[in-house]
Amino acid sequence: MTAPDAPPHVAVRRVSKRYGPLTVLDRVDLTVDRGELVTLLGPSGCGKTTLLRLVAGLATPEEGTIAIAGRDVTRVPPHRRNVGVVFQSYALFPHLTVAGNVAFGLSVRGRRRDEIDRAVARTLSLVRLEHLGARRVSALSGGQQQRVALARALAVEPEVLLFDEALSALDRNLREEMQVELRRLLREIGATAIFVTHDQDEALTMSDRIAVMNGGRIEQLADPKTLYERPATLFTLGFVGQSTRLRGTVAAAGDGMVAVDTPVGRVAAMGQFLAGSSVVVATRPEHLRVVADTVGHEGSDRARNSVDGRIRAVIFQGSRSRIEVAAGDQVLLAEAPGRIASALNPGDAARLVWPVAETFAYPDPEARA
Amino acid sequence: MTARLAIGFAWLAALAAVLFLAVPLLTVVAASVSPTPVFDLPLEGASLRWYARIGRLDGFWPALSLSLQIALLSTAIALVIGTLAAIAIVRGRLPGAETLATALVSPLMMPGLVLGIALLQYFRAVGFTATWSALLLAHLVVTLPYVARTMIAGLALFDFTLVEAARTLGCTYAGAILRVMVPALAPSFLTAGLFSFLASFDNYPVSIFLTDVRTKTLPIKMLQYIEEAPDPTLAALSTLILAATVILLVASDRLIGLHRMAGTSE
Amino acid sequence: MTATELPAPSPVVSPAPDRERWLAIGFAGPATLVLVVLFALPLALLFTASVAGPAGLTLSEYEKLATPHYLGVIWNSLRLALLTTGIAFLIGYPASFALARARGVLRSVMLAALFLPLAASVIVKAFAWTILLRSDGLVNTVLIALGIVDEPIRMIFTETALIVGAVNIFLPFMILPIYAVVAQLDHRLVEAAATLGASPVVAFVRVVMPLTLPGIIAGVALVFSLSVSAYVVPTLLIGERYPTLSTTIAKAFLLARQPGFGAAAGVVLLAITLTAVALSARLGRSGGSR
Ligand SMILES: Nc1ncnc2c1ncn2[C@@H]1O[C@H](COP(=O)(O)OP(=O)(O)OP(=O)(O)O)[C@@H](O)[C@H]1O
Ligand SMILES: [Mg+2]
Repeated sequence: MTAPDAPPHVAVRRVSKRYGPLTVLDRVDLTVDRGELVTLLGPSGCGKTTLLRLVAGLATPEEGTIAIAGRDVTRVPPHRRNVGVVFQSYALFPHLTVAGNVAFGLSVRGRRRDEIDRAVARTLSLVRLEHLGARRVSALSGGQQQRVALARALAVEPEVLLFDEALSALDRNLREEMQVELRRLLREIGATAIFVTHDQDEALTMSDRIAVMNGGRIEQLADPKTLYERPATLFTLGFVGQSTRLRGTVAAAGDGMVAVDTPVGRVAAMGQFLAGSSVVVATRPEHLRVVADTVGHEGSDRARNSVDGRIRAVIFQGSRSRIEVAAGDQVLLAEAPGRIASALNPGDAARLVWPVAETFAYPDPEARA
Repeated sequence: MTARLAIGFAWLAALAAVLFLAVPLLTVVAASVSPTPVFDLPLEGASLRWYARIGRLDGFWPALSLSLQIALLSTAIALVIGTLAAIAIVRGRLPGAETLATALVSPLMMPGLVLGIALLQYFRAVGFTATWSALLLAHLVVTLPYVARTMIAGLALFDFTLVEAARTLGCTYAGAILRVMVPALAPSFLTAGLFSFLASFDNYPVSIFLTDVRTKTLPIKMLQYIEEAPDPTLAALSTLILAATVILLVASDRLIGLHRMAGTSE
Repeated sequence: MTATELPAPSPVVSPAPDRERWLAIGFAGPATLVLVVLFALPLALLFTASVAGPAGLTLSEYEKLATPHYLGVIWNSLRLALLTTGIAFLIGYPASFALARARGVLRSVMLAALFLPLAASVIVKAFAWTILLRSDGLVNTVLIALGIVDEPIRMIFTETALIVGAVNIFLPFMILPIYAVVAQLDHRLVEAAATLGASPVVAFVRVVMPLTLPGIIAGVALVFSLSVSAYVVPTLLIGERYPTLSTTIAKAFLLARQPGFGAAAGVVLLAITLTAVALSARLGRSGGSR
């Protein structure tokens, strides 16, 4: 983690939440440092919104504690937590103007009129809406409404900002624009933020760290680079980015490496397993190099894996192409820049070569069951 | 061709409907300034003397006051308890919410007369003889369905995330309801209040069975005047009631828009 | 590290759902109380009173209603309701389409023309018709001036007066529910029907009519149940000559002091309106499921 000596700004400790018989969150641990943006990423129904609502105080956990800025807030109602929430639907108050919405939190706190006016003007200019203060919120575009929602949450200078799929209602271009802008703005003001999304690109773009959630648990909490390059679990690997996988049995192990017998031959991978374990070996498609010439001397060695096969399809995807290579009854996925891919044709023999250091072995979930 | 004919016919029907609906209202206004006591058209010279006579109608002021009291109070009570019930129905984990919703609007389907005689016998049977209170309770049954219907529809469209947003911004639960839900639902409250006020103020068939010689609501008094001695004074009174209604409607239109009311009223 | 591990069963039970339920019951309480004490119980008592004789249960009050005279009275009420509903539909249905097409000022004017009479007192409007339809009233004056009739025709206290007044008073209740449906009508459906080869008439009958059926049913049921139990309109516009269930009920309580008979008549009137409502609810449902 970033600063080991500073206490976390938000600390969620062994928190569980149940709705009737359904366990929605199961002993979740999560810490967010001051000024850090942590994203909760996961499939629908994995408990992201629920975790966010627990931090906001809109729901209370059955087990565990939540602390914000060193204060235990587990049983503190939302209005005394000083959090800022940006809802997916924005939840702007329809009976108030833009400025009225932004002023709301401050006027509830009983601030003086002139103080509120200044804060509203400052916050609106922060989100570049200074000219729209008198507008009715119903007369705003989606992107503008999004900014008002953000400004409303920022105006109270909250300890932590919570975003629940805050950008998902925007169209693609606007969303990407807002991702960059929001990231810049949050850095600028040094906000501590938790950001919920199920869009992996958004998570990778915006986050200091990403918590990948699955079935009410956090699978992995790491910075985007680590998460992508060293996914701790097969779920993370599959949820963030593309992967090529092979099922097999460990033939030999040692030195943090395993040799795995797969349907397409022996493959070396990083990992610690006993010989005889069922594993899935996996790597990212971009690590697979496609070599058209299968007779050359480039074979497997201690640093490289190599598999021979036949090109099944070349799928043009703009700057890169996706190449499907059939080896035995397996299909391996590779990626190559357009100019290399254009020389490849379906039906050609091809050899795939990739580094062992980028190959990871995971326990095979199906073999256990 | 057929389509054009049909559209022309539709406009014709609409025109006829609008004129037909306007005729009695215009008549009353014209008759109220009649120069003679027999509803002559004010072709040669209008007269405002009938307006001056309204206040001298026998028992007019007490009837007006009673009607206003009953209409305002029953509407206020209905707004509170009807809205609470609507919240429970739309939001809460209320067992039998559907049934309650149907039951709450069911008095609308009931002939007023039947409700009137049912309450008359019931109050007699339980020995409840206070006329004013009996009227208020009866009018509560008249107004509650209007409030329930409008508020259930309004709340069904209300985004309760707004309440959560207000809470995270520093409102207590009750504060969030008052500062966010109530103003956001203002159009529904206004519609509900307007309909239930008018329903009570204009009610005849329920009230007729619950009044006594000294305690009469305005509609009952008016019917009595009309049957006894119809003269332009009544047209003047009717015109004033109409004018008050117009002012109410225009004010609500300013506030929320009539087409929104048309959407929620049925 | 595995992707799926069964969550441990928890000993802690959340109290929240229970509290929410009690809160909801508390919120619904006052209105439910009003409904039971001031609506359900009185109705139950009314029903009891209609079958209570000096010696136990009796249907004698209902037998009185089955005599030719009172069957005629019931028919009068039904006839008034049927005629009013039919005429209001014939005017209101096409008018709703024009209203839905209207925009801007025109729409505001038309909506106002609907709302104002709706909000205006029934007594005021009925009174206006008594002025209009008198033998020296405006209608006769116009008819004579135009040379259509030579001498004033009797209109007030005739069935014509009754129906004209009733249609006038209940017409908005026909137009509004139909308008609400027509305004939502997706015009692309008609265009789609046209692209599928439907002539305007066929498109109307096969597409528009079925789609507006819920509005029609609602409007018809509303106008029928309002006009079958109308009291002020027959009292002022036709009087004793045309006794209806409503006037009979009122007389039984206010003049004749026959509460048992009045209660029985009330139950019959209630049964008629409830039948109309139930029928429309059922039709509405089967119409909607097609
Ligand atoms: N109030 C509630 N009552 C009962 N179950 C609930 C409630 N709120 C959430 N759940 C359940 O908890 C689980 C997690 O819900 P949550 O909203 O946290 O998911 P999510 O990760 O935000 O999903 P999404 O990406 O679809 O928004 C779901 O199975 C949901 O059905
Ligand atoms: Mg969610």
